[in-house]
Amino acid sequence: MPSDREFKTALLFLLPLLLTVLAFIAVPVAGTIYDSFFRDVTFLPRRFLGLENYRSLLADRAFYQALLFTLLFTIASVPLEVVLGLVFALILNRPLPARGLLRAAVLIPWAIPAAVSGRAFELIYNFSYGLANYLVLTLGLSDAPVNWLGSSYGAFASLVIADAWRTTPFVAIILLAGLTAIPGDLYRQATIDGAGTLQQFARVTLPLLKPVLMVALLFRTIDALRVFDVVYVITGGGPGGSTNALSLYGYQYFLSGDFGYGSTISVVLFAVALALSILYVRVSGFGRELA
Amino acid sequence: MKPFSPRPLLTLVAALVMLLFCLVPFGYMVLTSFARQPDYLRKQEGLALTLEHYHDILSAESLHFLDYLRNSLVISGVSAACAVAIAALAAYVLTRLRIPGKGTILFGVLAASLFPQVSLVSYLFKVMNALGWINTYPALILPYIAWVLPLSLWILVSYFAQIPLDLDRAARVDGCSRPQILLRVILPVAAPGIFSTFLLAFIFSFNEFLFALVLTTDYQARTIPVGIALFQGLHGEIPWGRIMAASVFTTLPVVALTLLFQRRIVQGLTRGAVKG
Repeated sequence: MPSDREFKTALLFLLPLLLTVLAFIAVPVAGTIYDSFFRDVTFLPRRFLGLENYRSLLADRAFYQALLFTLLFTIASVPLEVVLGLVFALILNRPLPARGLLRAAVLIPWAIPAAVSGRAFELIYNFSYGLANYLVLTLGLSDAPVNWLGSSYGAFASLVIADAWRTTPFVAIILLAGLTAIPGDLYRQATIDGAGTLQQFARVTLPLLKPVLMVALLFRTIDALRVFDVVYVITGGGPGGSTNALSLYGYQYFLSGDFGYGSTISVVLFAVALALSILYVRVSGFGRELA
Repeated sequence: MKPFSPRPLLTLVAALVMLLFCLVPFGYMVLTSFARQPDYLRKQEGLALTLEHYHDILSAESLHFLDYLRNSLVISGVSAACAVAIAALAAYVLTRLRIPGKGTILFGVLAASLFPQVSLVSYLFKVMNALGWINTYPALILPYIAWVLPLSLWILVSYFAQIPLDLDRAARVDGCSRPQILLRVILPVAAPGIFSTFLLAFIFSFNEFLFALVLTTDYQARTIPVGIALFQGLHGEIPWGRIMAASVFTTLPVVALTLLFQRRIVQGLTRGAVKG
């Protein structure tokens, strides 16, 4: 048992952390859940609605569209980013000239604010003079320019590509750390046992990388579910609301002064995120050794 | 002599493809910022270069580019410094003192970082509005501190855990109090870790978008990502040259930091993740 003095010091040192997290994360989240049970619209009297907002949500087609987009976006982008990130990590783990510089270059997309790179991608996807169509036409991949942001499929693909560009480096760096932690002896032993490159990858690399892979998957999934800035900048939710992410949908209600319904949308979003996090933790046993 | 193996060559080619993937959009950004017209890829006559867009964003006060940049630097700098200070105090306790509920605190704080920003922002808006703080620095600094704290805490805990406890014991024998130990023993030893944490907290605050979008209204507090996202031309056409010049100008410090401190950033990022 700690002495009284130690306990007081501990409390004093922890207080700023606990207060900040409480005041600016826990209380706002609780406030949002609370607001979701009210009619809370600017200039209208506040009124308790019970589950009315949630009932409206169930009948709201735009909500289903946003939910569907958010889930599809997550399902499309996360595996792409993790596989690409793994490839990058494997490359960065090989003996190469100027390794440090190479790593720094890979970090650049991650370091640029998403809203800023989003605008660059907006221009890249420009129908008449963007880089994407220039490449497509020059390489002969298509006879006519592609309408990237004008069709719902094109807009979806454009967002997934832009997001993958931005977040693959993060995944790669985390996986690289996992790779360097694998003892070289294991590979030497596997070579002596006659295992080929592919076998070594499947029998040594992947199993030992699993905990780190799970961390990367969890972080990326949470991040993809709450995607906002990339969508806001590149498509604004369009065309026709086909890329309206849940975060963006909630934001639109806040913007119009409807805090009750906007909060309801936010609550559903973090319920989805929470459910998936719990699933990951269950499946992977992530954090078991720490608890 | 070793038999020829295609492997190093393949690695090199793969590395080049990877490099292209990462750098081409950034290169396109730079090129467009110097191009007189953004449609140079379509034109027969090709690319005409100019510095005019840089001149515009740096001299035209109505664009408020330098205001946005200053806001961003101050807000991110103060947020990161506060977050690192708060996280260092907590990390010291979590790695040095025997108190109950350590795991709960660590995982509770981590869980707090998993909430979508949109689920915080309406309440934050109401509170800041009630306080009359909308469009001021504190309206962003306070949420940012909370936002980057989980990351800072996890990284610092893993750094502090590596510092031998013998150092503390020796200092205690010399009669140092706990705050003195933290200040005179731990902090100097952990300085590289503190620096990496500050860098990451700075980059995360600098890049934040949704809070800044909702909690600011104009150049007095608006940060650069929001400023660039909302950059519009007078007559409806998008001023791509200026936007890209502003983007490059903004990104350069971050890119320079990344190039200079690549090892520290990687260390910080991976400490948070791999140890977890």
